[in-house]
Amino acid sequence: MQVEVKNLTHIYSEGTPYESVALTDVSFEIGEGEFVGIIGHTGSGKSTLIQHLNGLLKPKSGKILVDGVDITGKDVKMSDIRRKIGLVFQYPEYQLFEETVRKDVAFGPLNLGLAQEEAEKRAEEAIRLVGLDYEEIADRSPFELSGGQKRRVAIAGVLAMQPELLILDEPTAGLDPKAHADVLDMIVRIHETSKNSIILVSHNMGDIARLSDKVLVMDRGRLILTGTPSEVFRQAELLESLGLALPPPAQMMRDLRAAGVPVSADILTIEEAEEELYRLLTAAKTDN
Amino acid sequence: MIRDITLGQYYPGNSWIHQLDARVKIIWTFVYIISLFLIQDFWGYLIILATLGLIVGVSKVPPSFMLRGLKPIFLIIVFTFTINMFMTKGTPLIEIGFLTITREGFRNALFMGTRLVLLIIGSSLLTLVTKPINLTDGIEKLLSPGQKIGIPAHELAMMMTIALRFIPTLLEETDKIMKAQMARGADFESGNIMKRAKSLIPLLVPLFISAFRIAQDLAMAMEARCYRGGSHRTRMNGIKLKKKDAVALAFTAIYLFAVILQGQGIYKMLL
Amino acid sequence: MRNTKFLIQAAIIAAVYAVLTIVLMPFSYGVMQVRVSEALTVLPFFTPAAIPGLFVGCLVSNMLGPYGLMDMVFGSGATLIAAVCSYCLRKRPLLVPLPPVVANGVIIGSMLYFAYEVPLPLYACMLWVAAGELIACYGLGYPLLRMLQKYKKIFELH
Repeated sequence: MQVEVKNLTHIYSEGTPYESVALTDVSFEIGEGEFVGIIGHTGSGKSTLIQHLNGLLKPKSGKILVDGVDITGKDVKMSDIRRKIGLVFQYPEYQLFEETVRKDVAFGPLNLGLAQEEAEKRAEEAIRLVGLDYEEIADRSPFELSGGQKRRVAIAGVLAMQPELLILDEPTAGLDPKAHADVLDMIVRIHETSKNSIILVSHNMGDIARLSDKVLVMDRGRLILTGTPSEVFRQAELLESLGLALPPPAQMMRDLRAAGVPVSADILTIEEAEEELYRLLTAAKTDN
Repeated sequence: MIRDITLGQYYPGNSWIHQLDARVKIIWTFVYIISLFLIQDFWGYLIILATLGLIVGVSKVPPSFMLRGLKPIFLIIVFTFTINMFMTKGTPLIEIGFLTITREGFRNALFMGTRLVLLIIGSSLLTLVTKPINLTDGIEKLLSPGQKIGIPAHELAMMMTIALRFIPTLLEETDKIMKAQMARGADFESGNIMKRAKSLIPLLVPLFISAFRIAQDLAMAMEARCYRGGSHRTRMNGIKLKKKDAVALAFTAIYLFAVILQGQGIYKMLL
Repeated sequence: MRNTKFLIQAAIIAAVYAVLTIVLMPFSYGVMQVRVSEALTVLPFFTPAAIPGLFVGCLVSNMLGPYGLMDMVFGSGATLIAAVCSYCLRKRPLLVPLPPVVANGVIIGSMLYFAYEVPLPLYACMLWVAAGELIACYGLGYPLLRMLQKYKKIFELH
């Protein structure tokens, strides 16, 4: 699926003393099967932006074209949008409510109008997809599970709707490092298996750098920068002025360069950093 | 969506009325409401209107805010007015088809209608000029003599304070939960009453669980700061009655007296 | 510790009540008062903290709403009486939502008749209010009770 956002503008509480502009003239595209990362300081409009994409908010002006159809139009049915675009909020485990895991995950498909049997089938697929043991967990109450498990169940709840575009708002918030890595691996696995498009909103620059095909940088309601991770993270000064950090390996390289060490400016991941340092150290050795 | 709701009716200001002790304002409101039922004819309304006008004027609250309170019960007012006008028996005034408006009907409609309007405006005035937190304190102080007969004034006031503090937090939670469920296709807006009722379960259950989770955390925090409850607690800002409160109370007493006299027809006799 | 927990549970119930009243505002303060928050009147089934909780919740809702003192006194009073009765009936889930229907019907109905002088017979005023309560308490409250029965743990004051 192709998503085009054109000149999106949104104003909160218009006409009241609390009026505030949340988005100004935001435009970008998401291609078939792309993995897009969105970064930005708190309050930059990331949440507002993604809520427009699945129809929870309507813009003051601008268009959002999903496969050519403008979803901001009046006659668009919400269920049609939500069928295609799924949104996982931060701390999604707080949305769980059903008696069993199976029922909770089936909630989404049922709302889309699927028959009970089909909905449960999808629920099973989704639960397996997030790496949980279906037989063990399907009939348990979601409230008995651990935090990490609950989160997976919540994500499964959205996956069961089989969206072509999956948006995740800080899916690793509040998780310990291992759970964090597990969730990211799960996202990558989902991306590769379903070949859907993914939008990942995150504060973790390392994850964004590693996984994204394209990065969008938001600041105070505007889209400041778009590009590949390399292109975006090269702009260290700009990012700093926006209150954003670089991925740790890139930051380390930057600090080294500032200290006069001739390392490449194109390092984003730990692996690349390791190679670069290895190259540097062995070169120095041979010089001696 | 939920961000747009301003909490409560309080209209910020620093007028003489705003500065009065909450207890005085509560007492005044009680007296005012009672006074509305003491008057028998339109002349009584003069006293009430004049007094209300004076208070609203001093408080500097725009009249439009006062009228806001009438919106929800607009239909009741119209209904009352109409029924009284057309259904009261007596000397006919105007005839429209098979409907008759009698003199008595017209008078009643006007009288009852005015009373209703004054009732709503007057009682909503309380929340317009008093912050919820001060109102809570006022209620606690007024009820505290009741502690002797078992009314837990302090605990109730504490509950009110905590509730007020957490309403914005829970409003946010509700918003988040609603949006999350809507993203999963839940529909809170369409359908008949029964359907809508059912659709609220995915909202209420998580809301509850969140609320009680917050309650647990708060209980621990309060315990950790040695909260033991009880009425022997001291306050950071004590509330004491000031001169203006005495003036206001005296005014209230005079007002009540004047209205009682009016109701008894004293003025008519004097004139 | 028990006392603090009790107090806070009550306060949170009050807050949830107020939040639901505010969020669903058009229904809550109009002529046909179908207050979704009245579904919470089934809570005394789970915990006695709901008695002061609902009372305070009603009080606070009226404080934040456009009505004022009359509703604060009568509405909250009715809610308190109903909550106590519901608590006493907690052995029979089907009867738990009944007290609020009756109490609000009688008390608020009387308030409408005597104070607001709605020109309908007294019984009509009472039935009108009771009808709105019925929908909220049995239509939403009872299913909520059934649903929450599975999550009884959260109400425990350990």
